[in-house]
Amino acid sequence: MYQGKSTLGGKIALWIVILIAVAWAIFPFYWAIVTSFKQPGVIMTTPSLFPWLQFTPTLANWKDEFTQRWPEISRALGNSLIVSVGATLVAITLGTMAGYGLARFRFRRWKNKDMTMWFLSQRFLPPMATVIPFFMVMKFLNLLDTQLALILVNATFTMPFAVLTLRDVFKELPKEMEESAWVDGASHFQAFFRIALPLAAPAIAAAAVICFAFSWNEFLFALILTYRNAQPITVVIAGVEHTQGVQFWFVATRLLIAILPPALLALTAQRYIVRGLTFGAVKG
Amino acid sequence: MPERSRVKYVFVLPGIIWVLCFTIFPLLYSLRLAFFQARLGKPETFIWLENFRRALFDDYRFWNSMSVTVFFVACSVVCTVSLGLALALLFNRPLRGQRLFRALFTTPLFTAPIALGYLGLTIFHEQVGAVNTVLLALGVENPPAWFSSIWPARIAIVLVDIWQWTPFCFLVLLAGLQSLPDEIYEAAWLDTSSSWDIFRHITLPLLTPVLFTVSILRMVEAFKVLDIPFSMTSGGPGAATQTYSFYIYLTGLRNFNAGYASALAYILLIVMLLISLSFFNRLRQIYE
Repeated sequence: MYQGKSTLGGKIALWIVILIAVAWAIFPFYWAIVTSFKQPGVIMTTPSLFPWLQFTPTLANWKDEFTQRWPEISRALGNSLIVSVGATLVAITLGTMAGYGLARFRFRRWKNKDMTMWFLSQRFLPPMATVIPFFMVMKFLNLLDTQLALILVNATFTMPFAVLTLRDVFKELPKEMEESAWVDGASHFQAFFRIALPLAAPAIAAAAVICFAFSWNEFLFALILTYRNAQPITVVIAGVEHTQGVQFWFVATRLLIAILPPALLALTAQRYIVRGLTFGAVKG
Repeated sequence: MPERSRVKYVFVLPGIIWVLCFTIFPLLYSLRLAFFQARLGKPETFIWLENFRRALFDDYRFWNSMSVTVFFVACSVVCTVSLGLALALLFNRPLRGQRLFRALFTTPLFTAPIALGYLGLTIFHEQVGAVNTVLLALGVENPPAWFSSIWPARIAIVLVDIWQWTPFCFLVLLAGLQSLPDEIYEAAWLDTSSSWDIFRHITLPLLTPVLFTVSILRMVEAFKVLDIPFSMTSGGPGAATQTYSFYIYLTGLRNFNAGYASALAYILLIVMLLISLSFFNRLRQIYE
Protein backbone atom coordinates (compact mmCIF):
# COMPACT_ATOMS: atom_id res chain seq x y z
CA MET A 1 0.00 0.00 0.00
CA TYR A 2 1.07 3.49 -0.75
CA GLN A 3 1.49 5.82 2.19
CA GLY A 4 -0.12 9.10 1.12
CA LYS A 5 2.06 11.97 2.19
CA SER A 6 3.29 13.49 -1.00
CA THR A 7 4.40 17.04 -1.54
CA LEU A 8 3.38 19.25 -4.42
CA GLY A 9 6.75 18.69 -6.06
CA GLY A 10 6.37 14.96 -5.71
CA LYS A 11 2.95 15.12 -7.31
CA ILE A 12 4.20 17.11 -10.26
CA ALA A 13 7.10 14.70 -10.77
CA LEU A 14 4.68 11.80 -10.61
CA TRP A 15 2.44 13.27 -13.27
CA ILE A 16 5.38 14.06 -15.52
CA VAL A 17 6.47 10.43 -15.38
CA ILE A 18 2.92 9.32 -16.05
CA LEU A 19 2.65 11.63 -19.04
CA ILE A 20 5.90 10.25 -20.46
CA ALA A 21 4.60 6.70 -20.00
CA VAL A 22 1.35 7.58 -21.75
CA ALA A 23 3.18 9.32 -24.60
CA TRP A 24 5.40 6.24 -25.00
CA ALA A 25 2.36 3.96 -25.11
CA ILE A 26 0.46 6.06 -27.63
CA PHE A 27 3.30 7.20 -29.84
CA PRO A 28 3.39 4.38 -32.43
CA PHE A 29 -0.36 4.67 -32.95
CA TYR A 30 -0.08 8.43 -33.23
CA TRP A 31 2.70 8.05 -35.77
CA ALA A 32 0.68 5.56 -37.82
CA ILE A 33 -2.36 7.84 -37.83
CA VAL A 34 -0.36 10.94 -38.73
CA THR A 35 1.49 9.09 -41.50
CA SER A 36 -1.74 7.79 -42.96
CA PHE A 37 -2.81 11.40 -43.60
CA LYS A 38 0.42 12.46 -45.29
CA GLN A 39 0.80 12.84 -49.02
CA PRO A 40 3.19 10.24 -50.47
CA GLY A 41 5.46 13.04 -51.75
CA VAL A 42 5.68 14.69 -48.36
CA ILE A 43 6.54 11.48 -46.54
CA MET A 44 9.81 10.78 -48.27
CA THR A 45 11.10 14.35 -48.41
CA THR A 46 10.43 16.11 -45.14
CA PRO A 47 10.28 14.36 -41.79
CA SER A 48 7.30 15.65 -39.83
CA LEU A 49 5.28 14.84 -36.73
CA PHE A 50 2.47 17.37 -36.56
CA PRO A 51 -0.38 17.76 -39.06
CA TRP A 52 -1.35 21.30 -40.11
CA LEU A 53 1.78 22.75 -38.51
CA GLN A 54 4.23 20.82 -40.67
CA PHE A 55 2.15 19.45 -43.54
CA THR A 56 -1.37 19.57 -44.92
CA PRO A 57 -3.24 16.38 -44.10
CA THR A 58 -4.95 14.54 -46.92
CA LEU A 59 -7.54 11.80 -47.07
CA ALA A 60 -6.12 10.43 -50.33
CA ASN A 61 -4.44 7.35 -48.80
CA TRP A 62 -7.58 6.31 -47.01
CA LYS A 63 -9.66 6.92 -50.14
CA ASP A 64 -7.26 4.72 -52.10
CA GLU A 65 -7.47 2.01 -49.52
CA PHE A 66 -11.26 1.96 -49.56
CA THR A 67 -11.70 2.17 -53.34
CA GLN A 68 -8.86 0.95 -55.49
CA ARG A 69 -7.38 -1.47 -52.96
CA TRP A 70 -10.61 -2.42 -51.27
CA PRO A 71 -11.18 -5.77 -53.03
CA GLU A 72 -7.87 -7.10 -51.73
CA ILE A 73 -8.28 -5.62 -48.25
CA SER A 74 -11.87 -6.68 -47.79
CA ARG A 75 -11.11 -10.23 -48.81
CA ALA A 76 -8.24 -10.36 -46.34
CA LEU A 77 -10.39 -8.89 -43.58
CA GLY A 78 -13.12 -11.40 -44.38
CA ASN A 79 -10.62 -14.25 -44.18
CA SER A 80 -9.25 -12.97 -40.88
CA LEU A 81 -12.76 -12.67 -39.51
CA ILE A 82 -13.84 -16.16 -40.59
CA VAL A 83 -10.64 -17.77 -39.37
CA SER A 84 -10.67 -15.97 -36.02
CA VAL A 85 -14.36 -16.55 -35.33
CA GLY A 86 -14.15 -20.20 -36.42
CA ALA A 87 -11.05 -20.89 -34.33
CA THR A 88 -12.54 -19.07 -31.34
CA LEU A 89 -15.79 -21.06 -31.52
CA VAL A 90 -13.94 -24.36 -31.51
CA ALA A 91 -11.41 -23.32 -28.85
CA ILE A 92 -14.06 -21.88 -26.54
CA THR A 93 -16.55 -24.73 -26.92
CA LEU A 94 -14.03 -27.46 -26.22
CA GLY A 95 -12.07 -25.25 -23.83
CA THR A 96 -15.10 -24.42 -21.68
CA MET A 97 -16.02 -28.07 -21.38
CA ALA A 98 -12.49 -29.17 -20.54
CA GLY A 99 -12.06 -26.27 -18.13
CA TYR A 100 -15.30 -27.19 -16.39
CA GLY A 101 -14.36 -30.86 -16.28
CA LEU A 102 -10.97 -30.10 -14.74
CA ALA A 103 -12.48 -27.73 -12.18
CA ARG A 104 -15.44 -29.87 -11.08
CA PHE A 105 -14.47 -33.53 -11.31
CA ARG A 106 -11.61 -35.46 -9.91
CA PHE A 107 -9.71 -37.71 -12.26
CA ARG A 108 -7.75 -40.63 -10.95
CA ARG A 109 -5.72 -42.18 -13.68
CA TRP A 110 -4.27 -38.96 -14.98
CA LYS A 111 -4.51 -36.46 -12.19
CA ASN A 112 -6.21 -33.11 -12.79
CA LYS A 113 -2.94 -31.34 -12.12
CA ASP A 114 -1.16 -33.34 -14.79
CA MET A 115 -3.80 -32.62 -17.38
CA THR A 116 -3.74 -28.93 -16.54
CA MET A 117 0.04 -28.88 -16.80
CA TRP A 118 -0.17 -30.68 -20.10
CA PHE A 119 -2.47 -27.99 -21.51
CA LEU A 120 -0.10 -25.36 -20.17
CA SER A 121 2.92 -27.00 -21.77
CA GLN A 122 1.27 -26.50 -25.16
CA ARG A 123 1.76 -22.77 -24.79
CA PHE A 124 5.49 -23.34 -24.44
CA LEU A 125 5.69 -25.28 -27.66
CA PRO A 126 7.57 -23.24 -30.26
CA PRO A 127 5.32 -23.00 -33.34
CA MET A 128 8.46 -23.43 -35.45
CA ALA A 129 8.62 -27.06 -34.29
CA THR A 130 5.27 -27.91 -35.84
CA VAL A 131 4.98 -25.68 -38.87
CA ILE A 132 6.71 -27.96 -41.38
CA PRO A 133 4.64 -31.06 -40.49
CA PHE A 134 1.51 -28.92 -40.55
CA PHE A 135 2.39 -27.82 -44.05
CA MET A 136 2.86 -31.45 -45.16
CA VAL A 137 -0.38 -32.59 -43.56
CA MET A 138 -2.44 -29.76 -45.02
CA LYS A 139 -0.91 -30.41 -48.40
CA PHE A 140 -1.80 -34.08 -48.07
CA LEU A 141 -5.38 -33.23 -47.08
CA ASN A 142 -5.63 -30.71 -49.89
CA LEU A 143 -6.34 -27.97 -47.38
CA LEU A 144 -3.56 -25.56 -48.36
CA ASP A 145 -4.85 -22.04 -48.91
CA THR A 146 -8.16 -22.70 -47.19
CA GLN A 147 -9.69 -20.96 -44.22
CA LEU A 148 -10.37 -24.34 -42.65
CA ALA A 149 -6.64 -25.07 -42.33
CA LEU A 150 -6.10 -21.86 -40.40
CA ILE A 151 -9.16 -22.49 -38.24
CA LEU A 152 -7.77 -25.91 -37.24
CA VAL A 153 -4.35 -24.47 -36.46
CA ASN A 154 -5.55 -21.47 -34.48
CA ALA A 155 -8.11 -23.49 -32.55
CA THR A 156 -5.32 -25.83 -31.50
CA PHE A 157 -3.02 -23.07 -30.33
CA THR A 158 -5.63 -20.99 -28.48
CA MET A 159 -7.50 -23.86 -26.83
CA PRO A 160 -4.97 -24.42 -24.00
CA PHE A 161 -5.35 -20.78 -23.11
CA ALA A 162 -9.16 -21.14 -22.96
CA VAL A 163 -8.95 -24.31 -20.88
CA LEU A 164 -6.59 -22.80 -18.30
CA THR A 165 -8.45 -19.52 -17.92
CA LEU A 166 -11.87 -21.11 -17.69
CA ARG A 167 -10.74 -23.85 -15.35
CA ASP A 168 -9.66 -21.09 -13.03
CA VAL A 169 -12.98 -19.27 -13.41
CA PHE A 170 -15.11 -22.36 -12.76
CA LYS A 171 -13.00 -23.20 -9.72
CA GLU A 172 -14.00 -19.89 -8.17
CA LEU A 173 -17.72 -20.33 -8.79
CA PRO A 174 -19.54 -21.84 -5.79
CA LYS A 175 -20.39 -25.44 -6.53
CA GLU A 176 -23.27 -25.65 -4.05
CA MET A 177 -25.83 -24.56 -6.62
CA GLU A 178 -24.81 -27.27 -9.04
CA GLU A 179 -24.78 -29.83 -6.26
CA SER A 180 -28.31 -28.98 -5.21
CA ALA A 181 -29.37 -29.21 -8.85
CA TRP A 182 -27.91 -32.72 -8.98
CA VAL A 183 -29.82 -33.61 -5.82
CA ASP A 184 -32.97 -32.35 -7.50
CA GLY A 185 -32.40 -34.80 -10.29
CA ALA A 186 -30.69 -32.63 -12.89
CA SER A 187 -28.06 -34.31 -15.02
CA HIS A 188 -24.49 -33.08 -15.17
CA PHE A 189 -25.21 -31.48 -18.48
CA GLN A 190 -28.29 -29.66 -17.23
CA ALA A 191 -26.36 -28.35 -14.24
CA PHE A 192 -23.56 -27.28 -16.55
CA PHE A 193 -25.76 -25.53 -19.09
CA ARG A 194 -28.34 -23.98 -16.76
CA ILE A 195 -26.20 -22.97 -13.79
CA ALA A 196 -22.46 -22.92 -14.36
CA LEU A 197 -22.50 -21.60 -17.92
CA PRO A 198 -24.64 -18.49 -17.26
CA LEU A 199 -22.57 -17.66 -14.17
CA ALA A 200 -19.32 -17.92 -16.11
CA ALA A 201 -20.67 -16.15 -19.20
CA PRO A 202 -18.73 -12.88 -18.74
CA ALA A 203 -15.45 -14.76 -18.27
CA ILE A 204 -16.17 -16.98 -21.27
CA ALA A 205 -16.85 -13.92 -23.38
CA ALA A 206 -13.55 -12.39 -22.25
CA ALA A 207 -11.65 -15.57 -23.02
CA ALA A 208 -13.31 -15.64 -26.44
CA VAL A 209 -12.17 -12.09 -27.12
CA ILE A 210 -8.58 -12.99 -26.25
CA CYS A 211 -8.68 -16.15 -28.42
CA PHE A 212 -10.07 -14.04 -31.23
CA ALA A 213 -7.21 -11.55 -30.89
CA PHE A 214 -4.56 -14.29 -30.82
CA SER A 215 -5.98 -15.88 -33.96
CA TRP A 216 -6.32 -12.56 -35.73
CA ASN A 217 -2.70 -11.64 -35.01
CA GLU A 218 -1.21 -15.02 -35.90
CA PHE A 219 1.27 -14.74 -38.75
CA LEU A 220 3.65 -17.68 -39.21
CA PHE A 221 1.08 -20.38 -39.98
CA ALA A 222 -0.97 -17.99 -42.07
CA LEU A 223 2.11 -17.23 -44.13
CA ILE A 224 2.97 -20.89 -44.69
CA LEU A 225 -0.48 -22.35 -45.19
CA THR A 226 -2.05 -19.74 -47.47
CA TYR A 227 -0.86 -18.12 -50.65
CA ARG A 228 -3.83 -16.40 -52.30
CA ASN A 229 -7.50 -16.96 -51.61
CA ALA A 230 -7.37 -17.58 -47.88
CA GLN A 231 -4.72 -15.00 -46.96
CA PRO A 232 -5.68 -13.16 -43.79
CA ILE A 233 -4.83 -9.52 -43.15
CA THR A 234 -1.53 -10.26 -41.37
CA VAL A 235 -0.15 -11.90 -44.50
CA VAL A 236 -1.50 -9.20 -46.79
CA ILE A 237 0.26 -6.45 -44.84
CA ALA A 238 3.44 -8.50 -45.09
CA GLY A 239 3.24 -7.94 -48.84
CA VAL A 240 3.23 -4.16 -48.62
CA GLU A 241 6.92 -3.61 -49.08
CA HIS A 242 7.51 -5.87 -52.00
CA THR A 243 6.65 -3.68 -54.94
CA GLN A 244 8.60 -0.43 -54.56
CA GLY A 245 10.46 -0.45 -51.28
CA VAL A 246 8.66 0.70 -48.17
CA GLN A 247 5.51 2.58 -48.99
CA PHE A 248 4.86 4.41 -45.78
CA TRP A 249 1.35 5.47 -46.62
CA PHE A 250 0.01 2.01 -47.34
CA VAL A 251 1.89 0.69 -44.39
CA ALA A 252 0.15 3.20 -42.15
CA THR A 253 -3.40 2.80 -43.43
CA ARG A 254 -3.19 -0.96 -43.68
CA LEU A 255 -1.58 -1.43 -40.31
CA LEU A 256 -4.29 0.62 -38.68
CA ILE A 257 -6.94 -1.49 -40.39
CA ALA A 258 -5.19 -4.68 -39.25
CA ILE A 259 -4.41 -3.57 -35.72
CA LEU A 260 -7.65 -1.97 -34.63
CA PRO A 261 -10.19 -4.83 -34.47
CA PRO A 262 -8.38 -7.02 -31.91
CA ALA A 263 -6.89 -4.09 -29.99
CA LEU A 264 -10.28 -2.42 -29.49
CA LEU A 265 -12.06 -5.68 -28.80
CA ALA A 266 -9.50 -6.57 -26.14
CA LEU A 267 -10.55 -3.53 -24.14
CA THR A 268 -13.79 -5.34 -23.32
CA ALA A 269 -11.83 -8.18 -21.73
CA GLN A 270 -9.84 -5.92 -19.36
CA ARG A 271 -10.88 -7.68 -16.18
CA TYR A 272 -9.57 -11.06 -17.27
CA ILE A 273 -6.42 -10.09 -19.10
CA VAL A 274 -3.93 -10.53 -16.26
CA ARG A 275 -5.37 -13.84 -15.20
CA GLY A 276 -5.67 -15.01 -18.78
CA LEU A 277 -2.19 -14.08 -19.95
CA THR A 278 -0.54 -15.64 -16.92
CA PHE A 279 -2.70 -18.79 -17.21
CA GLY A 280 -4.21 -18.23 -13.80
CA ALA A 281 -0.83 -17.96 -12.05
CA VAL A 282 -1.56 -14.35 -11.08
CA LYS A 283 -5.07 -13.26 -10.17
CA GLY A 284 -6.06 -10.00 -11.81
CA MET B 1 -18.58 -34.80 -5.96
CA PRO B 2 -19.69 -37.91 -7.76
CA GLU B 3 -16.53 -39.58 -8.92
CA ARG B 4 -17.84 -42.77 -10.41
CA SER B 5 -19.70 -41.12 -13.24
CA ARG B 6 -18.18 -41.47 -16.66
CA VAL B 7 -19.75 -38.22 -17.74
CA LYS B 8 -16.65 -36.34 -16.65
CA TYR B 9 -14.74 -37.78 -19.58
CA VAL B 10 -17.25 -36.29 -21.97
CA PHE B 11 -16.24 -32.88 -20.69
CA VAL B 12 -12.49 -33.31 -20.80
CA LEU B 13 -11.75 -35.69 -23.63
CA PRO B 14 -12.82 -33.68 -26.70
CA GLY B 15 -10.37 -30.90 -25.87
CA ILE B 16 -7.57 -33.29 -25.01
CA ILE B 17 -8.05 -35.37 -28.12
CA TRP B 18 -8.17 -32.30 -30.34
CA VAL B 19 -4.97 -30.80 -28.99
CA LEU B 20 -3.26 -34.19 -28.89
CA CYS B 21 -4.06 -34.92 -32.53
CA PHE B 22 -2.88 -31.58 -33.77
CA THR B 23 0.34 -31.42 -31.75
CA ILE B 24 1.60 -34.94 -31.12
CA PHE B 25 1.54 -36.03 -34.74
CA PRO B 26 3.34 -32.96 -36.06
CA LEU B 27 5.88 -33.28 -33.25
CA LEU B 28 6.51 -36.96 -33.94
CA TYR B 29 6.75 -36.26 -37.62
CA SER B 30 9.33 -33.53 -37.17
CA LEU B 31 11.22 -35.68 -34.68
CA ARG B 32 11.51 -38.28 -37.40
CA LEU B 33 12.53 -35.64 -39.93
CA ALA B 34 15.26 -34.43 -37.60
CA PHE B 35 17.17 -37.68 -38.15
CA PHE B 36 16.91 -37.52 -41.91
CA GLN B 37 18.56 -35.70 -44.71
CA ALA B 38 15.27 -34.41 -46.08
CA ARG B 39 14.54 -31.72 -48.60
CA LEU B 40 10.95 -31.14 -49.62
CA GLY B 41 10.19 -33.17 -52.71
CA LYS B 42 13.38 -35.24 -52.65
CA PRO B 43 14.07 -38.74 -51.36
CA GLU B 44 15.01 -38.91 -47.69
CA THR B 45 18.03 -40.63 -46.19
CA PHE B 46 18.48 -41.59 -42.57
CA ILE B 47 21.58 -39.93 -41.17
CA TRP B 48 21.42 -40.56 -37.42
CA LEU B 49 22.42 -37.49 -35.44
CA GLU B 50 24.21 -35.75 -38.27
CA ASN B 51 21.77 -32.79 -38.30
CA PHE B 52 22.35 -32.15 -34.60
CA ARG B 53 26.10 -32.52 -34.94
CA ARG B 54 26.13 -30.11 -37.83
CA ALA B 55 24.11 -27.54 -35.89
CA LEU B 56 26.18 -27.66 -32.75
CA PHE B 57 29.67 -28.04 -34.17
CA ASP B 58 29.64 -27.03 -37.77
CA ASP B 59 27.27 -24.14 -38.34
CA TYR B 60 28.27 -20.60 -37.53
CA ARG B 61 24.77 -19.37 -38.52
CA PHE B 62 23.31 -21.54 -35.78
CA TRP B 63 25.55 -19.90 -33.17
CA ASN B 64 25.01 -16.48 -34.65
CA SER B 65 21.23 -16.79 -34.46
CA MET B 66 21.49 -18.29 -31.00
CA SER B 67 23.54 -15.36 -29.71
CA VAL B 68 21.27 -12.83 -31.41
CA THR B 69 18.34 -14.49 -29.69
CA VAL B 70 20.03 -14.61 -26.30
CA PHE B 71 20.86 -10.92 -26.58
CA PHE B 72 17.28 -10.19 -27.61
CA VAL B 73 15.80 -12.25 -24.79
CA ALA B 74 18.12 -10.82 -22.13
CA CYS B 75 17.50 -7.19 -23.11
CA SER B 76 13.80 -7.65 -23.61
CA VAL B 77 13.18 -9.52 -20.36
CA VAL B 78 15.32 -7.23 -18.20
CA CYS B 79 13.87 -4.05 -19.68
CA THR B 80 10.22 -5.07 -19.83
CA VAL B 81 10.21 -6.49 -16.31
CA SER B 82 12.04 -3.58 -14.70
CA LEU B 83 10.10 -0.91 -16.58
CA GLY B 84 6.89 -2.76 -15.84
CA LEU B 85 7.79 -2.94 -12.16
CA ALA B 86 8.65 0.76 -12.03
CA LEU B 87 5.35 1.69 -13.65
CA ALA B 88 3.41 -0.69 -11.45
CA LEU B 89 4.92 0.84 -8.30
CA LEU B 90 4.05 4.26 -9.67
CA PHE B 91 0.46 3.36 -10.38
CA ASN B 92 -0.10 1.39 -7.20
CA ARG B 93 -1.84 4.26 -5.42
CA PRO B 94 -5.16 6.02 -5.62
CA LEU B 95 -4.86 7.87 -8.90
CA ARG B 96 -7.41 9.64 -10.98
CA GLY B 97 -7.86 8.06 -14.39
CA GLN B 98 -6.18 4.77 -13.46
CA ARG B 99 -8.69 2.76 -15.45
CA LEU B 100 -7.96 4.84 -18.51
CA PHE B 101 -4.22 4.22 -18.14
CA ARG B 102 -4.76 0.53 -17.77
CA ALA B 103 -6.89 0.48 -20.91
CA LEU B 104 -4.20 2.43 -22.73
CA PHE B 105 -1.56 -0.07 -21.66
CA THR B 106 -3.70 -2.98 -22.81
CA THR B 107 -3.79 -2.10 -26.49
CA PRO B 108 -0.09 -2.77 -27.32
CA LEU B 109 -0.53 -6.36 -26.08
CA PHE B 110 -3.08 -7.08 -28.77
CA THR B 111 -1.33 -5.34 -31.63
CA ALA B 112 -0.28 -7.85 -34.27
CA PRO B 113 3.53 -8.15 -33.95
CA ILE B 114 3.89 -8.45 -37.70
CA ALA B 115 2.10 -5.11 -38.12
CA LEU B 116 4.20 -3.61 -35.37
CA GLY B 117 7.35 -4.65 -37.19
CA TYR B 118 6.30 -2.77 -40.31
CA LEU B 119 5.34 0.22 -38.22
CA GLY B 120 8.80 -0.03 -36.65
CA LEU B 121 10.25 0.07 -40.15
CA THR B 122 8.73 3.51 -40.69
CA ILE B 123 9.41 4.74 -37.15
CA PHE B 124 13.12 3.91 -37.33
CA HIS B 125 13.53 4.91 -40.98
CA GLU B 126 16.92 6.56 -41.33
CA GLN B 127 15.90 9.73 -43.14
CA VAL B 128 12.25 10.39 -42.39
CA GLY B 129 11.44 8.10 -39.46
CA ALA B 130 9.97 9.39 -36.23
CA VAL B 131 12.90 8.47 -34.02
CA ASN B 132 15.55 10.22 -36.10
CA THR B 133 13.25 13.21 -36.59
CA VAL B 134 13.04 13.60 -32.83
CA LEU B 135 16.78 12.96 -32.37
CA LEU B 136 17.62 15.64 -34.97
CA ALA B 137 15.26 18.07 -33.29
CA LEU B 138 17.02 17.38 -30.01
CA GLY B 139 20.32 18.33 -31.61
CA VAL B 140 21.85 14.89 -32.17
CA GLU B 141 24.05 15.38 -35.19
CA ASN B 142 24.49 11.88 -36.52
CA PRO B 143 21.43 9.87 -35.59
CA PRO B 144 22.04 6.12 -35.94
CA ALA B 145 21.51 4.38 -39.25
CA TRP B 146 19.10 1.95 -37.67
CA PHE B 147 18.88 -0.66 -40.36
CA SER B 148 22.34 -0.60 -41.88
CA SER B 149 24.50 -1.10 -38.82
CA ILE B 150 24.56 -4.13 -36.59
CA TRP B 151 23.92 -2.88 -33.07
CA PRO B 152 21.39 -0.17 -33.88
CA ALA B 153 19.35 -2.76 -35.80
CA ARG B 154 19.45 -5.15 -32.85
CA ILE B 155 18.49 -2.39 -30.48
CA ALA B 156 15.64 -1.30 -32.74
CA ILE B 157 13.96 -4.71 -32.73
CA VAL B 158 14.42 -4.98 -28.98
CA LEU B 159 12.86 -1.55 -28.51
CA VAL B 160 9.78 -2.54 -30.47
CA ASP B 161 9.44 -5.70 -28.40
CA ILE B 162 9.89 -3.70 -25.20
CA TRP B 163 7.18 -1.32 -26.33
CA GLN B 164 4.82 -4.21 -26.87
CA TRP B 165 5.50 -6.20 -23.71
CA THR B 166 6.18 -3.65 -20.98
CA PRO B 167 2.41 -3.20 -20.61
CA PHE B 168 2.05 -6.93 -19.93
CA CYS B 169 4.61 -6.80 -17.13
CA PHE B 170 3.00 -3.63 -15.83
CA LEU B 171 -0.51 -5.10 -15.69
CA VAL B 172 0.58 -8.36 -14.09
CA LEU B 173 2.90 -6.74 -11.54
CA LEU B 174 0.26 -4.15 -10.67
CA ALA B 175 -2.20 -6.97 -10.01
CA GLY B 176 0.49 -8.60 -7.88
CA LEU B 177 1.11 -5.43 -5.90
CA GLN B 178 -2.57 -4.85 -5.32
CA SER B 179 -3.00 -8.31 -3.89
CA LEU B 180 -0.37 -7.76 -1.17
CA PRO B 181 -1.94 -7.45 2.29
CA ASP B 182 -2.29 -3.91 3.67
CA GLU B 183 -1.64 -4.91 7.29
CA ILE B 184 2.03 -5.66 6.70
CA TYR B 185 2.54 -2.23 5.26
CA GLU B 186 0.73 -0.50 8.08
CA ALA B 187 2.96 -2.28 10.57
CA ALA B 188 6.09 -1.54 8.55
CA TRP B 189 5.43 2.16 8.29
CA LEU B 190 5.52 2.26 12.10
CA ASP B 191 9.11 0.98 12.05
CA THR B 192 10.59 3.00 9.24
CA SER B 193 9.76 5.98 7.12
CA SER B 194 12.00 5.12 4.21
CA SER B 195 10.04 3.92 1.18
CA TRP B 196 13.24 2.33 -0.14
CA ASP B 197 13.48 0.13 2.98
CA ILE B 198 9.84 -0.82 2.62
CA PHE B 199 10.37 -1.69 -1.03
CA ARG B 200 13.52 -3.68 -0.39
CA HIS B 201 12.46 -5.60 2.69
CA ILE B 202 8.74 -6.04 2.12
CA THR B 203 7.46 -5.38 -1.38
CA LEU B 204 10.26 -7.10 -3.26
CA PRO B 205 10.27 -10.37 -1.27
CA LEU B 206 6.48 -10.60 -1.34
CA LEU B 207 6.40 -9.89 -5.04
CA THR B 208 9.12 -12.40 -5.96
CA PRO B 209 6.75 -15.19 -7.05
CA VAL B 210 4.93 -12.85 -9.42
CA LEU B 211 8.20 -11.41 -10.73
CA PHE B 212 9.39 -14.94 -11.35
CA THR B 213 6.23 -15.87 -13.24
CA VAL B 214 6.38 -12.75 -15.38
CA SER B 215 10.05 -13.23 -16.20
CA ILE B 216 9.63 -16.84 -17.26
CA LEU B 217 6.59 -16.10 -19.40
CA ARG B 218 8.41 -13.22 -21.05
CA MET B 219 11.50 -15.34 -21.60
CA VAL B 220 9.56 -18.09 -23.31
CA GLU B 221 7.72 -15.64 -25.56
CA ALA B 222 10.89 -13.75 -26.41
CA PHE B 223 12.71 -16.96 -27.36
CA LYS B 224 10.10 -17.61 -30.01
CA VAL B 225 10.40 -14.16 -31.58
CA LEU B 226 9.95 -14.17 -35.33
CA ASP B 227 7.41 -11.61 -36.54
CA ILE B 228 9.26 -8.45 -35.55
CA PRO B 229 12.65 -9.21 -37.16
CA PHE B 230 10.81 -10.78 -40.09
CA SER B 231 8.95 -7.61 -40.94
CA MET B 232 11.28 -4.96 -39.58
CA THR B 233 14.78 -5.99 -40.60
CA SER B 234 14.38 -9.28 -42.52
CA GLY B 235 17.18 -10.47 -40.29
CA GLY B 236 19.59 -7.85 -41.57
CA PRO B 237 21.94 -6.14 -41.94
CA GLY B 238 23.62 -9.41 -42.92
CA ALA B 239 22.41 -11.80 -40.27
CA ALA B 240 22.68 -9.29 -37.42
CA THR B 241 19.04 -9.65 -36.37
CA GLN B 242 18.47 -13.19 -37.55
CA THR B 243 16.83 -14.67 -34.48
CA TYR B 244 16.75 -18.39 -33.93
CA SER B 245 13.14 -18.88 -35.08
CA PHE B 246 13.90 -16.81 -38.12
CA TYR B 247 16.87 -19.01 -38.93
CA ILE B 248 14.68 -22.11 -38.67
CA TYR B 249 12.17 -20.44 -40.94
CA LEU B 250 14.83 -19.67 -43.55
CA THR B 251 16.29 -23.17 -43.36
CA GLY B 252 13.04 -25.07 -43.57
CA LEU B 253 10.71 -22.86 -45.53
CA ARG B 254 12.91 -20.82 -47.82
CA ASN B 255 15.70 -23.33 -48.45
CA PHE B 256 13.37 -26.31 -47.97
CA ASN B 257 15.88 -28.19 -45.87
CA ALA B 258 13.16 -29.80 -43.77
CA GLY B 259 15.35 -32.31 -41.98
CA TYR B 260 17.90 -29.81 -40.73
CA ALA B 261 15.17 -27.30 -39.82
CA SER B 262 13.41 -29.96 -37.73
CA ALA B 263 16.61 -30.69 -35.87
CA LEU B 264 17.02 -26.95 -35.19
CA ALA B 265 13.40 -26.77 -34.02
CA TYR B 266 13.99 -29.64 -31.62
CA ILE B 267 17.00 -27.86 -30.14
CA LEU B 268 14.73 -24.86 -29.53
CA LEU B 269 12.13 -27.15 -27.99
CA ILE B 270 14.71 -28.52 -25.56
CA VAL B 271 15.90 -25.05 -24.59
CA MET B 272 12.30 -23.96 -23.93
CA LEU B 273 11.69 -27.09 -21.92
CA LEU B 274 14.68 -26.36 -19.71
CA ILE B 275 13.54 -22.79 -19.14
CA SER B 276 9.99 -23.75 -18.34
CA LEU B 277 10.74 -26.69 -16.03
CA SER B 278 11.33 -24.42 -13.06
CA PHE B 279 8.14 -22.58 -13.89
CA PHE B 280 6.19 -25.82 -14.11
CA ASN B 281 7.27 -26.80 -10.63
CA ARG B 282 5.90 -23.60 -9.25
CA LEU B 283 2.66 -23.83 -11.20
CA ARG B 284 2.17 -27.40 -10.08
CA GLN B 285 1.59 -26.03 -6.59
CA ILE B 286 -0.84 -23.38 -7.81
CA TYR B 287 -2.89 -25.85 -9.86
CA GLU B 288 -3.46 -28.06 -6.83
